[in-house]
Amino acid sequence: MRPANPAVSAAAPARARRRLSVQHLVIAFPVLSLIFAGIGAALGETFYLRLATEALILAGLAISVDILLGYTGLLSLGQALYFGLGAYTAAFLLGQGAVGFWGALLASLALATPVALLAGLVAIRSKGVYFILITFGLAQVAAKTVYNTRELGGSDGLVGVPVLQADFGLFQVDLGSPVAFFLLMLALIMGLYVGLNYLMHTPFGRTLVAIRSNEHRVRFLGFDPWRYKLAAYVVAANVAALCGALYPMLRGFVSPELLYFKMSADAVITVILGGVGTLIGPIYGSVALVGLRTVLGSWTEHYHMIIGALFMLAVIFMPRGFAGLFDRDEGEPAQDGGERT
Amino acid sequence: MTEAIEYLQFVLAPQMLNGLTIGVAVVLVALGLSIIFGLLDVVNMAHGEFYALGAFISMSLYSLGVSFWLALVLVPLIVMPIGFLIERGLIQRVYQQDQRHVLTLLLTVGLSIIMEDAFDLIYGPNTMRPENPLPGSTELLGVIVPNYRLFLLAVGVATIVATWLLIYRTRLGAMIRAAAFDKHMTASLGVPVLRVYAGTFAFGVALAGFAGVLLAPIYSVFPTMGHDFVLLAFTAVIVGGIGSFYGAVLAGLLLAQIQAISSLYISPHWSDPLLFAIMVAVLVVRPQGLFNWMGRS
Amino acid sequence: MTGKLKKVGAVLSVLLPMAAAGQAAAQSNNPITIGVLTPLSGTYAPIGQQVKWGTELAVKEINAAGGILGRPIRLLYEDEEANPSVATRKAEKLFQSDKVDFLTGVVNSGATIAVGQVAERNDRLMATTVSLSDAITGARCSPNVFRVNAPGGMQALGLAAWIKQNNPKARVFAIGPDYEMGRNTVDGFVKQAKELGLSVVGQVFAPLGEKDYTPYFGQIRQARPDVLYTSTAGNDTVRLFTQLQEYGLRERLTIVGASVAVTAQNIGAIGAAAEGFVTVAGYSPDIDTPENKKFVADFRKAYNADPDLYGADSYGLIYLYKAAVEKAGTTETAKLRKTLEGFTWQTPQGPKSVRAGDHQAVMTVYVLEVRNGRFTIKEKIDGQTAIGPDTCERF
Repeated sequence: MRPANPAVSAAAPARARRRLSVQHLVIAFPVLSLIFAGIGAALGETFYLRLATEALILAGLAISVDILLGYTGLLSLGQALYFGLGAYTAAFLLGQGAVGFWGALLASLALATPVALLAGLVAIRSKGVYFILITFGLAQVAAKTVYNTRELGGSDGLVGVPVLQADFGLFQVDLGSPVAFFLLMLALIMGLYVGLNYLMHTPFGRTLVAIRSNEHRVRFLGFDPWRYKLAAYVVAANVAALCGALYPMLRGFVSPELLYFKMSADAVITVILGGVGTLIGPIYGSVALVGLRTVLGSWTEHYHMIIGALFMLAVIFMPRGFAGLFDRDEGEPAQDGGERT
Repeated sequence: MTEAIEYLQFVLAPQMLNGLTIGVAVVLVALGLSIIFGLLDVVNMAHGEFYALGAFISMSLYSLGVSFWLALVLVPLIVMPIGFLIERGLIQRVYQQDQRHVLTLLLTVGLSIIMEDAFDLIYGPNTMRPENPLPGSTELLGVIVPNYRLFLLAVGVATIVATWLLIYRTRLGAMIRAAAFDKHMTASLGVPVLRVYAGTFAFGVALAGFAGVLLAPIYSVFPTMGHDFVLLAFTAVIVGGIGSFYGAVLAGLLLAQIQAISSLYISPHWSDPLLFAIMVAVLVVRPQGLFNWMGRS
Repeated sequence: MTGKLKKVGAVLSVLLPMAAAGQAAAQSNNPITIGVLTPLSGTYAPIGQQVKWGTELAVKEINAAGGILGRPIRLLYEDEEANPSVATRKAEKLFQSDKVDFLTGVVNSGATIAVGQVAERNDRLMATTVSLSDAITGARCSPNVFRVNAPGGMQALGLAAWIKQNNPKARVFAIGPDYEMGRNTVDGFVKQAKELGLSVVGQVFAPLGEKDYTPYFGQIRQARPDVLYTSTAGNDTVRLFTQLQEYGLRERLTIVGASVAVTAQNIGAIGAAAEGFVTVAGYSPDIDTPENKKFVADFRKAYNADPDLYGADSYGLIYLYKAAVEKAGTTETAKLRKTLEGFTWQTPQGPKSVRAGDHQAVMTVYVLEVRNGRFTIKEKIDGQTAIGPDTCERF
């Protein structure tokens, strides 16, 4: 019989005493959102519900950045490229009346995958800083190209995207109803979270995290990091494109600004502020940024400075972000060490 | 035959001369970026804003009655302590973390957002432009060249040479190179490495600010002017090789020439994609840079 | 007897004004709200500033005279940020949260089109006083969007006509920024010029935000033009003009261009190179009518600056809204729309009327030339000649 290991017995109460964790954040979000939706519906509110829906769509872009930054260790400054790709594909097809809700989503994914493979082939070969600059450059070039293409509306963008009915077989969701769209988006985002979170706990996901920690060691263990990184890049692109496709369904139009650096940078800011590597953090971050903008924007036109300053402070003092504050109890190796012997 | 000569005289030669002048300006901006990149391992996404800062400070000086020539000297002297403080106070705070590449890059992104908005707030969105201190033009071998651009060329080359001398022929330069090569060894030899880093950053952004003052009379001054050179400068740094002095110079000149001459034959909105394609090609084929035969500068 | 009457009189003389004040108070709790969604920061902020001043002055005057149908006007401002995504978000806020009755101020053409769609979905009307894109009352017209300023096409017609009149043998070269708007304006001008029989010797497009136009000077020199047409704007114009001067090309050229090329935002920076620039616009502070003189004087007194076309058109729009609402007797969208179509109203620059087929205002336009750093009037062109055909097919 092993002598009582003080480390183990110390660890157990510590875990039982754990106050808040990331799990709480994950549960809190849909709960809070449903309360918000309930209040909004009761008040007959439309603007804030639609603003919140937009925040959730942007949260998808943020999650896409987090897959790469938080789990694979790749900073992409050009995810807006895929968001815009999805948005334009959906807007173009919906404007022609060629597809419905599902068709638009599928088309966006169908286009995003080959583009991401091609771009990834070029970008992933480059390490660290070069990868960042390539993703930055790709988005810039794409934005300029769209801006100059008359068939895609040029600098004016495309308008005239109709309000859709999403057909789920047993029931229909009227995307013209602010509450309905909000709930749909909430379900989608939480679904993305659950799915991606699960993915990150599979061997595939764990390999990604390992690559982020130490790529060389992973290679020595017999894995080809390149393939995993490319796969992660394609997954992230698809997530971004999927959410991008929902944008014109909400706003009825698309414009080249959706591909600009500002869009990509905003997504990165929300990931850092929200908590990199948690998937739920970026969702909170996205909502927070939209809220901050609305509030600050009604006081002053120069709110960019304030957000920039907050961002810098977060990078220096709180690099693990909001959700990172909830992550503290995990990983206390000294206490866990006893258990593993 | 006369058509070919006419073409050379009226179209090609002026174009190349222009490419040279623009190239020198690009080199001034790219040099600072490359030095910061190579020595400090920091991607300064706010480098364009320091270029703008120099131009804006010069406008303030002009409104106080300071002459163009004095401003050329004063502006770098004003930008340097600003750069020093930013490096020491903000950037160095994230040095110790293992994600420092990403964190320093993000920090400078935030900085660029703040700086651009600050310009809009302090100076307003209207375009400003200082008067050309050297109006008029001269004729060189049948090509008409504005005097100011000749001046630009001369000053630019002089600055590049002076920078080279500083880095390769002075004790300070030796300290900088040593600190880049092996910071622990250098520190143990008594060199104040952190101060060297801050000083190098200050110098790099001061070069960009100097370029801002020089180019203001011909390119004018406005809050988003930082974006003018960003793509070209970053491409020059990468094509030339990060941290490589010669690389930045050669690549800067070369890329400006490519841009100038290609604009004669292809539609202008292919210009940026072309540059980007060159950058990507170099990264794929020879990631350490085309001219980086010196290794790290 | 008289004592009692006096007492009643005294009480009434206190109660009546109170009742009247109470009624007025009750009415001022029911203002007509107009949303002004305009750039308050960034490159277009100076235009937004003029829009703000113009609308403010008109509202002040109208409210002092009793409002519209006895109701005062309340203005709500939001920053458009020259970004269609931001503009639509804020437009929704104005329509749904703030419940504005009418919206104006949008500058960016892409934003105007997108916000027009938001207006349709919220069953409200909006008007632009700045946006130039012909599509707004053309290919992308909307039953809820009106325009009171002269669009790009009108300016092109006016300019081509002026050149033909003054120098029919002129060699014309066109340069524009290489994006949708830039290409449209140049194409529109070149088409008009060719139709009038002018000799167009070349055209070139430079990237938007181009800092160095010297690569194009080779082509320009080779073509030996007398007139250069440009549709660059803001900083691009500054660079083009000053670099032309640097290279000694400026003196040989008469430069004409879209009204957006030289404005209060950049004329200071362009400096001497702007002398002699010719454009066509729907307004000039020098228009010699008593209404305009009064308007300019009031504007100067209130804001210490001259009104430009953006300020004047925005001022005129508020008066259009007032006149139309009073004629229709309501702010209800369908009735107001019907009243507006074909409506004529008075502005400081004379009468304007709204063409029913595409909601574009028809007005006299002026050929303006820069002299000593400010625009002066060279001649007038009648609205019907300059307006161009109705290409709107949606309604």
